[in-house]
Amino acid sequence: MLDRELKKGSAELLILSLLEDQPRHGYDLSKLIETRSGGLLKFRVASLYPLLYRLEKRGWILGRWIEKAGQRRRRYYRLTPVGAHVLASQRDTWREFVLAISRVTGVEHA
Amino acid sequence: MPEWPDDVAEELRQHLDDQYRELRAAGASHDDALRAMADDVNAVRSRRSGLRPELVAADVRYAFRTLRRNPGFAIVVLLTLALGIGANAAIFSVVNGVLLRPLPYRDADRLMVIRGDLKRPGLNDIPASAGEYVDYRDRSHAFEQVAAYDTVGFNLTGGGEPERVDGAIVSTTLFSLLGASAQVGRTLVADEDQPGRDDVVVLSHSLWTRRFSANPAIVGQTIPVDGRPAQVVGVMPAAFQFPDRSIEIWKPFLLDADALSDNNRGSHGYTALARLKAGISRQQAQADLNAVTAAFKADHPGNYRNGFGATLRPLQEEIVGDTGRPLIVLLGAVAIVLLIACANVANLLLARAASRRKEIALRTALGASRGRLVRQLMTESVLVSAIGGSIGLGLAAWGVDLLITSAPDSIPRIQEVGVDARVAGFTALVSLATGLVFGLVPALRASRAPLNDALKEGGRAGGGVHGFAGRALVVSEVALSLVLLIAAGLLIHSFTRLQDVAPGFDSSRLLTFRLSLPESRYTTFQKGQSFFDEFFAGLRRSPGVRGVAAINALPFSGLGGSRSFHIEGREEKRPEDQTEEQLRIVTDGYFAAMGIPIVAGREFTDRDALNQPRVAVVNDAMAKKHWPHESPIGKRVSFSTDEPHWYEIVGVAGNIKHRALEAADRPELYVPYRQPLFAGWTVRPMYVIARTSADPASTVAIARHEIARVDRDQPISDVRTMDERIGRSLSSRRFSMVLLALFAGLALTLAAVGIYGVVAYAVTERTHEIGVRVALGAQRRDVMAMVVGQGMTMTLVGTAIGVAASAALARLMSSLLFGVSAVDPATFVAIPLLLVAVALAACYVPARRAMRVDPLQALRSE
Repeated sequence: MLDRELKKGSAELLILSLLEDQPRHGYDLSKLIETRSGGLLKFRVASLYPLLYRLEKRGWILGRWIEKAGQRRRRYYRLTPVGAHVLASQRDTWREFVLAISRVTGVEHA
Repeated sequence: MPEWPDDVAEELRQHLDDQYRELRAAGASHDDALRAMADDVNAVRSRRSGLRPELVAADVRYAFRTLRRNPGFAIVVLLTLALGIGANAAIFSVVNGVLLRPLPYRDADRLMVIRGDLKRPGLNDIPASAGEYVDYRDRSHAFEQVAAYDTVGFNLTGGGEPERVDGAIVSTTLFSLLGASAQVGRTLVADEDQPGRDDVVVLSHSLWTRRFSANPAIVGQTIPVDGRPAQVVGVMPAAFQFPDRSIEIWKPFLLDADALSDNNRGSHGYTALARLKAGISRQQAQADLNAVTAAFKADHPGNYRNGFGATLRPLQEEIVGDTGRPLIVLLGAVAIVLLIACANVANLLLARAASRRKEIALRTALGASRGRLVRQLMTESVLVSAIGGSIGLGLAAWGVDLLITSAPDSIPRIQEVGVDARVAGFTALVSLATGLVFGLVPALRASRAPLNDALKEGGRAGGGVHGFAGRALVVSEVALSLVLLIAAGLLIHSFTRLQDVAPGFDSSRLLTFRLSLPESRYTTFQKGQSFFDEFFAGLRRSPGVRGVAAINALPFSGLGGSRSFHIEGREEKRPEDQTEEQLRIVTDGYFAAMGIPIVAGREFTDRDALNQPRVAVVNDAMAKKHWPHESPIGKRVSFSTDEPHWYEIVGVAGNIKHRALEAADRPELYVPYRQPLFAGWTVRPMYVIARTSADPASTVAIARHEIARVDRDQPISDVRTMDERIGRSLSSRRFSMVLLALFAGLALTLAAVGIYGVVAYAVTERTHEIGVRVALGAQRRDVMAMVVGQGMTMTLVGTAIGVAASAALARLMSSLLFGVSAVDPATFVAIPLLLVAVALAACYVPARRAMRVDPLQALRSE
């Protein structure tokens, strides 16, 4: 249970981070997460797109259909200013959390 | 997520398409690619349909893990719930079996009882005469069938000990009306109510097994019933009972010219039953019945007083009677116990939720939505209540057995009580509701916990969240348990008052039993008289017997009967306006043997014989009512107007309790057995009383022996000591009282646990603060006062509410009380004091712990 939510919480963080530099489409995002995590993190399509949809509703990211010559249209997502702010604070929370966890586990193992 | 926007759907399609192309490009076959993607596709499907069983299952698994991590918590919660739900299931089983379940006859909802009704108090419940039964049967159109019965006793003799069994004389239509058929042989047929054909009997399964060793060959044979041969035509199945389980033999009553004559039209002895035709409403049937009564009143104008009519009421109502109210009170009491149990569990959950705040905050931080958390927490509480409910149902099955064995006979259908599908359904529903009730508030509170606070606060959970709700729960627990305690206290107080009531006679070492001489052998009352003379002479000579007498309606036997009479020299009244009082027929020496004081005059002797002047004794209540300003001695009364036999009052006896200890003293008139009211009087069933010098039980065998010396075919029945009878008359009351006291005790225990829990939790939470206080110079005494004060504030607020609620509910209780006001000051002071004392004890334990807080350690742990 906990790891499911951990994934879910971290998923938001991961997506926001990946959109920080450039707009990306869904398939691109899922491939990147899988490859960059060395295959440890893998998102099911059934979770990824609803998550993107939710993030967009919250106003953290913005999706646009973009057509390129010779290709189907794809929906590209980019970070909004609100999203950038959330990303910053989530990174802090995450850092605190990791720190807290390691402190706790460190104490327990001492 | 019920509907996805088109955008998302398109993206998904594209994604899967991309994935497919990539897999194919990497060399996978079409099938392999599809297989690799199957999981994703299925996941999409299940999300789309909105069904996520895997989440529910995960919640349940998680809940189990949480419970296993806290076995102490789990045990306390499960035990509390099992007791609360179990008590409810057990009492509901009784309510279900007695009040709700249909009677065990075919289409029982169409069975009605017909009662004569003069629309006057005490005269609205008149049984039917044989003639009226025949009219209801033949003249009505609304009924499929009509039957009638009366309960009687039969003496069984021949082969073994003579035995007195309860039976019924019935119309031949009874069995088919009930839809019952015999297990062996047959039931009654149409013409067996005719002279010469009526010497047939149907046996109950129990009698057949007990007396005839379940021998099927008994059917067709003849057995002596009340001294006359009767042919056994059938044996009923074990499950059949009518009108109740005690009846073991059914015999048709005779519908000859005499039974149907105008003379007997007023002999209202039968209960008339009717089965409504399908589709006929009770109102339509009542209209039909009105037409029938109007018709037979016109045919027999001399037999009916003005206003006579007949009313219908369901047989179920007739059988269940007025046992409903105490049962509903008990159901209310167990519901309160369950509420308290819920409050306790909610409190425990609140305390635990407070300590789980970190976990919950963490999960929120990691993206769990509030709804998700509430659902998770509710899954836990519903799971807990489901397990508690299952244990409770087990407890109930055991409790129901206990209830049945300890329940008084006066509760009808108690043997039918059991845990059935309806009880199981009720328990499941109650468990679910319980889980929702105690789980919702803590779950909502826990999920609302502000994130940052919880995370920042470190290990210590804030008291604020738990504080108010927890205290409110304890206050309501205290109030609810006080309501139960006061109700139980009032019942107990009533009971002791009742036990102190003197019955007006000496009930100790008094053996009583019933003796019914059959009219077939004792054709005149003189024959009965000589039987008693001979039997009593023998019994009086026996060792340990100090006095012997007999009476037609023994106190505490449930029997009684009144007769109208006329006082000499007073104005003659019309028959319907004549005075009626309780009449008893007693043998000489009755008052001495019973220990009833003779206030004035004398009692009966053997010289008050048939050829002597007729005499009577009245009780004090009778004397005061009819001769308020003079002595009744020497006055004369008569029971028949056409040729008066005057009975001269020769004595005044003390009042006795006849029906029950709580009954008011009623006027009673006694006449001697030797001077019967009418010519042609035959033997009547009598109760024999024997005063003994040792244990009355040892006299039973002597009495049997002495009877057998006179007539070896005469059985005795209903053998009990008088103390036993008085005890039984209290059994209904004792039953309600013990159960209510039990529930009140349970409620008090739960409330004490609740107070302890909240105070102990507060002490843990405030260890730091207490440490600081002590470090700053607070005395141990002050710490103690602070902790106890907190607990006692809750207790006192709850007590005040409980006292007010009890006073408001007093009117509901008053009909169940005796000699005690529903706002009895003693109870209303003593019981709250008891509760406060228990609460003090519950606060004291955590308070001692608070006193021992070491300031250094408390501060260092920060």
